[in-house]
Amino acid sequence: MANVLLIIFTISLLYLGIAHRLFTYIKILAFQGVLLFGIAFIELIQINIANLTFVLLETIVFKAIAIPYFLNYVIKRNRITRDAEPYLPNFISLIIITLIIITTFVLSNAIADERISKIYFVVALSTLFTGLYIIVTRHKIITHVMGYLVIENGVFILSLAVGNEMPMLVNLGIMLDIFASVFLLGIFVNRIGDVLKDVDVDQLKNLKD
Amino acid sequence: MISFILIIVASIFFTGIIIRTKSITSGRKGPGILQPMKDIFRLFKKGAVYSKTTSFIFQIAPSVYFASVIMAILVIPFGQYKGMISFDGDFVFFAYVLGTGKFFSIISALDTGSSFEGMGASREALFSMFAEPAFFILMGSLALLTGHTSFQQIFASLHFGSYISYILGVMATFVLVMITLVENSRMPFDDPKTHLELTMVHEVMILDNSGFDLGLILYATNLKFAMYGALIANLFMGSFPLYLTIPIFLGIQILFAIAVGILESFTARFRMNHNAQYILALSSVTLLIFLGVLLVLGQFS
Repeated sequence: MANVLLIIFTISLLYLGIAHRLFTYIKILAFQGVLLFGIAFIELIQINIANLTFVLLETIVFKAIAIPYFLNYVIKRNRITRDAEPYLPNFISLIIITLIIITTFVLSNAIADERISKIYFVVALSTLFTGLYIIVTRHKIITHVMGYLVIENGVFILSLAVGNEMPMLVNLGIMLDIFASVFLLGIFVNRIGDVLKDVDVDQLKNLKD
Repeated sequence: MISFILIIVASIFFTGIIIRTKSITSGRKGPGILQPMKDIFRLFKKGAVYSKTTSFIFQIAPSVYFASVIMAILVIPFGQYKGMISFDGDFVFFAYVLGTGKFFSIISALDTGSSFEGMGASREALFSMFAEPAFFILMGSLALLTGHTSFQQIFASLHFGSYISYILGVMATFVLVMITLVENSRMPFDDPKTHLELTMVHEVMILDNSGFDLGLILYATNLKFAMYGALIANLFMGSFPLYLTIPIFLGIQILFAIAVGILESFTARFRMNHNAQYILALSSVTLLIFLGVLLVLGQFS
């Protein structure tokens, strides 16, 4: 069952590659949060109850509700335009993300280690690289934070693969979430909007010779 | 034989159900289920008018297109029963017979010398080209999963055992539905109801066809819908007895028609220049199916 959720997670990465609007990105992030909740529930059912409750609450409340809601609020508040504005066309993004998935698949096949659960490894690694790719190819700072959140989801999946033996790693993965929220707060507090804000354009109108 | 008869039966009501669903969701009563077939019969009674700039290709193209769809239907099996033609690797035959028909419809559109039709033909060729790898990777992965290479053997030995094969079935259904919409030029990729030549894809290619030829092309569209519906139904039939598979077949066809109707009522079409990337996304999804098959086979565990 966890494999099914992981494959759906990978499809959501492909969708991330061809999404146009920031709100679509937010929806995908929320959906990934719900998927991670499911995966964590199936995978970590054996660890002690307090820790499990903490992890599950973190995924469903923090990843699936709080961060998307706050991102939405920040975009509205700072009046960020709703286009994602990639440097490369989405068509090329799609091909590159597909290549990333194939490469990680081949790579993990080459490693051939008994201790690694390969499907987790493939999904986690391809999520990591997709997040990096999104950070590199998008204009806006808010999309950089979203790319960071995707990377962080990848780290979370990787920690889930060994979560039964080392629950500590899962908690460390969650620490990254809190780090990402500090980023978000930074954008919110400093009101970093688009490069050309609406206000600036209004000021340009006052120019006279 | 049985699949051929059932696909013909399904093709009679398929478009009618789509139109009826669209009417009901927009609050109208809508025409009867058989209205598209009545329109086609009306066209069959008419003669055709040919432009003076066209050559014989324009006159034979609708017949070739129709014949190619019929040939493709002959290959489709029904559960464990073979189609009328069945041999190893017949899914390649299936894809390229349809390709031949598409080629003739494209050159007949170019034959008219209209700039709009050339544009539509170019788009149609591009979209089918992007949909083709998705179909081949999908059928290739199913062939790898079952170890057979003909439609009938693939579908007869396809069984869902583990969780991963369920997701493979769901993804295969999704890909086949999207391929159907691309091949038939339906809503998310092309709007069959549009009245502007610049935004048409398939509709603009048949602007110069009239009477009997137009009837053939329209009926071939119905047949193609029922054909892909039959492929999807085959994924779920397995080796059940006949009294179970016929209701499954008809039920899936009706569900598919209603799903297409609902999709057409509630989604806007994609922007023309973004269509290619959405169609290519299908190939990426089928690649995931392929990796999933590798997982099931234990080539990679």
